[in-house]
Amino acid sequence: MTPAFSPFLPVLLLLLIALGVGAAILVVSGRILPGLMKPNNPQPAKLTPYECGVPPLQGGARHRYSVKFYLVAMLFILFDVEAAFLLPWAVQYKTHLWTFWAMVSFLATLLVGYVYAWGKGALDWER
Amino acid sequence: MVIERIEAKLPGAILDRHAFRGDATITVSGPRFLEVVDFIFAEGFQLLLDVTAVDQGPAAGSGGACGETPEYRFEVVYHLLNLVNQERLRIKVPVADGASQPSLTGRFKSADWAEREVYDLFGIPFEGHPNLTRLLMWEDFPGHPLRKDFPLDGGDVFCSQDIGASFDPEARSLNA
Amino acid sequence: MADLRLDDSVMTTRLDSVVNWARKNSLWPLPFGTACCAIEFMSMMASRYDFSRFGAEALRFSPRQSDMLLVLGTVTNKQAPVLRQIYAQMAEPKWVVAVGVCASSGGMYRTYATLQGIDRVVPVDVYVPGCPPRPETMIYGVMELQKKISRESLSMRKEHIERFYASLARQEELQKARGLSSYQVVREMVLEAGAQGEQQIW
Repeated sequence: MTPAFSPFLPVLLLLLIALGVGAAILVVSGRILPGLMKPNNPQPAKLTPYECGVPPLQGGARHRYSVKFYLVAMLFILFDVEAAFLLPWAVQYKTHLWTFWAMVSFLATLLVGYVYAWGKGALDWER
Repeated sequence: MVIERIEAKLPGAILDRHAFRGDATITVSGPRFLEVVDFIFAEGFQLLLDVTAVDQGPAAGSGGACGETPEYRFEVVYHLLNLVNQERLRIKVPVADGASQPSLTGRFKSADWAEREVYDLFGIPFEGHPNLTRLLMWEDFPGHPLRKDFPLDGGDVFCSQDIGASFDPEARSLNA
Repeated sequence: MADLRLDDSVMTTRLDSVVNWARKNSLWPLPFGTACCAIEFMSMMASRYDFSRFGAEALRFSPRQSDMLLVLGTVTNKQAPVLRQIYAQMAEPKWVVAVGVCASSGGMYRTYATLQGIDRVVPVDVYVPGCPPRPETMIYGVMELQKKISRESLSMRKEHIERFYASLARQEELQKARGLSSYQVVREMVLEAGAQGEQQIW
């Protein structure tokens, strides 16, 4: 009764050796050799943001921007989620009266909101 | 010539003049300056090429001439170009030490930085300028460099002396 | 067992030599070009004089990505703290070449506006004279820098860089304490050093 080894054992061995050699190369070339060669002089000035040598802008580079971007994003989310609800309904739709009108009522609720947004000028980009 | 037209329209405004083959220069007194500018703007001199100044020296007073010394310390010089007939005109305005000039930024956009430069380098303030800050030197630079009493080297010892540093045998080597 | 004949296939050398060889043959310049010397630099980069053969094809206008600061042209007193900040932001190893007489000594401008040599405010390794220097002269200057780099050692202490950062800390302290702009503080440091006979503020 000879013990049966998996024929894939050499593959495992090869994988381990490859990983080991790879890790060794990375550690030696990334940690050990640079540790010997690199200059080590951490200075706070080296971490300052590069702005062509002049003192950085006071208060950062953030500025006020128009609220219309927020409105568009919000409306998008709402109607995108509505469309997302529409999809699984459409997949398992079978012609029942109740199925149809339930979805129509859902869409009608959102239609009211849409007309309101339209009327209020939320869809006018230029203003 | 435009100088004759100015004399005809605004008598007494021009204090001094000379013109030679296109180099027309008039000296206008401070109080009449804006009238003259309005008139020549209407005549077509709508391009202000430069605003600069001349410092006659600190000995020149703020009034009260005495022989060679000029009466006013500064002379602000404006160069204008008539875009219609390509005539050029130079206007000089005597300004006393400490006095200010009215700004032409309302009429000429190019007056903006030119007047800032004059303010920076000579210290002549311009009334009505939207942003009268230093232009060439830094904002807290002490003094006005193009005045005659400002030293050329700005107080830097190494400017005026020849220290022969390059031949200094004791010079520190970076690779010591 | 046959002797191992290595001969041409293997080089043994000190780590210093290898590292210096790599560094000097891949000097990525930061062209701090302010005036006419920058034009001569451009012709040095072009095909006739071809600076790229020194490994310097990669011009990096960022202090984080370059190792050689080439100051090409006149540096005014208003530009001095800007130059210091750029040098401070560079990662080591870093070297500075003052190209042209304006950067080396203020050149023909002996005035209130011009910094009389960038070595007043940053440590300089090589000075290249000329107004402007011919491209061959600038190449010679970089070759001298290469020779200087090959004389370096990994364990060598770069005292000039330490002194520079100390002077930068002094500058920032003065700015906070007196509420002045960096331009005025650096100018005052230069004038003060001059009054005491010292050329450098670092």
